[in-house]
Amino acid sequence: MAKSLLIISRQAPWSGPSAREALDIALAGGAFDLPLGMLFLDDGVLQLLPSQNARALQQKDLTANLQALEMFGVEDLFACSTSLAERGMSPDALNVEPLNVLQDEEIAALIDRYDQVITI
Amino acid sequence: MSTLHVLSHSPFADSRLSTCLRVLGGEDAILLCGDATYALNASTAARQALEARADGLKLFVLDEDATARSIELPDWVKAVDYPGFVELSVHYDKVNTWL
Repeated sequence: MAKSLLIISRQAPWSGPSAREALDIALAGGAFDLPLGMLFLDDGVLQLLPSQNARALQQKDLTANLQALEMFGVEDLFACSTSLAERGMSPDALNVEPLNVLQDEEIAALIDRYDQVITI
Repeated sequence: MSTLHVLSHSPFADSRLSTCLRVLGGEDAILLCGDATYALNASTAARQALEARADGLKLFVLDEDATARSIELPDWVKAVDYPGFVELSVHYDKVNTWL
């Protein structure tokens, strides 16, 4: 049985390569049927905003990668409730689903459930 | 299950430390290295946040990184060297490095 992996993505989508790299890890792991989950934390939740326009910055669209997660078998997607609230974001208007919104105290339990964790 | 959270970024530049403290599990520990050791600078909000939880918090700091930065360690922090860092990594079920 492969070890399970939790990817914690906590960078905003257009400020550097981190958000894309976290998604790449998730998609690559999903392609190999690794049991993995992904948690959006801190600025990482900004990736979940609908109606973003990467072309305005001449960048590739991350939204397509987000949508591909489910297709690659990455269905355990989580977002931090506090991080969303801090950024004025409603859990009901995001571009990824199904998405589990977790309270702070639930995040420690989430990390416990996985064998390994990567925070980017 | 327990996690060792490794922080290496300055607490004055971003929210890694404050978020880590927010989501920290009861069995977890924090290791400060690199610029994260500045969190122990006296009279800072980061130091106060750590001190407020000193009773229940397992907090380690990489001694040489703190020494290099002229940081005086309070007695509620445990200083470790690199072999100690390795021992901690093995002791905890997993290591979460906040890159």
